Amino acid sequence: MPRRVVVVGGGAAGIGAAGAAKQTDPQAEVTVFTEFEDVGYSPCGIPYVHGREIPTFEQLFLATKQTYEDVGIDIRYETRVNRLDPAAHEIEVEGTGAVGFDSLIVATGFEYADPGVPGSDLDGLHYVKNIRRAIEWDPVLEDAKVAVVVEATPLGLEMVTALAHRGLETHLVDPRPWALADVADPDIMQPVQDSWADMGVKMHFNTPVEAFLGEGKVRAVKTPDEELPADVVVICTHKQPNNRLARDAGIKIGSTGGIIVDQRMHTRTEGVYAAGDCAEIPHGVTKVPIQGLSGSHAYAQGKVAGTTAAGGDRAYNPVDVPWGMVAGKWMIGGVSFGETTANALRFPYVMGVAEGISRARYYPDMKKIRVKLLADPGTHRLLGAQMVGGEGIKERADFLAMAVRTGITIEDLATMENVYSPPIGALNEPISLAAQNALAGLKG
Amino acid sequence: MPFFEWLRSNSEEYLLEASQRDMATRYGIEAPVRDGSVFWRRIFTPVYRLLPWGLRRSIMSAMPGSHRRWMRRAPP
Repeated sequence: MPRRVVVVGGGAAGIGAAGAAKQTDPQAEVTVFTEFEDVGYSPCGIPYVHGREIPTFEQLFLATKQTYEDVGIDIRYETRVNRLDPAAHEIEVEGTGAVGFDSLIVATGFEYADPGVPGSDLDGLHYVKNIRRAIEWDPVLEDAKVAVVVEATPLGLEMVTALAHRGLETHLVDPRPWALADVADPDIMQPVQDSWADMGVKMHFNTPVEAFLGEGKVRAVKTPDEELPADVVVICTHKQPNNRLARDAGIKIGSTGGIIVDQRMHTRTEGVYAAGDCAEIPHGVTKVPIQGLSGSHAYAQGKVAGTTAAGGDRAYNPVDVPWGMVAGKWMIGGVSFGETTANALRFPYVMGVAEGISRARYYPDMKKIRVKLLADPGTHRLLGAQMVGGEGIKERADFLAMAVRTGITIEDLATMENVYSPPIGALNEPISLAAQNALAGLKG
Repeated sequence: MPFFEWLRSNSEEYLLEASQRDMATRYGIEAPVRDGSVFWRRIFTPVYRLLPWGLRRSIMSAMPGSHRRWMRRAPP
């Protein structure tokens, strides 16, 4: 009898898991249940269609429904799973009844935190998640004049940039003192905020939302200082693990609210695996579990879960979290954590900061880059980094993530060799300059 | 909300808020003004900051979670 692998959730983790399971055991019956109409598209690309950088939503689809049929993955669209029963090796599917499994992969993803203020149930509050809802909502932007984005999370940064790019009067409301303040440092975000100001964005920091106002449909956002009229409101609150099914089934949940997994993405319940935004993963430096990572993390975790659920052997590493994005007219990024998080944890660190350039000084389109490195004061190993610049941030973040993982020190970075070629690299690498400054600080 | 989720959620929120206040001062921007619990702001945060890093790390490591089931790095 073929192995039955059931996946609940059709996002990056779920689809990654299904593909890996089928690859590991081609005879396995792999079934994916999703509440949504589609799988195999890039939800991360949605803000760029709203912003008109990408012309159509169709371009975000990476595979067709036929693609999955051809490889033998059975996807049940618009199908709700009501209950997981690990003891009986069954799930309860609405309209179908009990469906048995040998291995179950929970990939139920995330949901946005409830803003928790009056009016949160009004029509017109938009959450960026599902591509069909985005396609339905996008025409609203044709006639809209004023948009309010609630909270400067990574998605919030993308939506502010997109809506301003599209020409709307865009307001950003956030209770924290600068954008992305739970992740990024103020000096990293300042150029972004300056560029938003150039684009006409009105920023309201240290400002909580008190209520959404309207009769049936939202017409304004109330803050302690004013009422902001709004034709559209985009809610970009934090991502929380969507774990109702797992909790009800008695699957162990960690302190982040994510499902506890081991390195093979196995939960503490026999035969049940979890991956993606519903699971928690230890941070490589702090060892503290975290959740709500990127699509690439979810996909990679799904691959591990699918492989092991189908009888293979694959393991996942603690995460050092390289990240990067475009915000305003800048690229920002980093790895692990920055000054704000290290200070919050009171994690011991020394710091080096440098400003450099992305190309030879005389070459057209040369851009500034600011690099901040954090290192262990005892071992001098790199702990984290943050950057802002005009280009080359993603590649540096990936490189620095490997530096953190492999225990490279600031001495190593201070003496690193670098590519010098006027159109693509300057004489002095900003990472090396920041490391040299960190060393100079250590020497007093 | 289960105890450890409540503890993590609140400690994270208030430690980050305190750090953002420090950063705001360091970088010369307006500090956050937020309502919140006297316990977390006036007792928990200062006490946490007084503890030695080794003790803080031990407490965090003792909390239930995925980290207790992982090695540092997976074998290749």
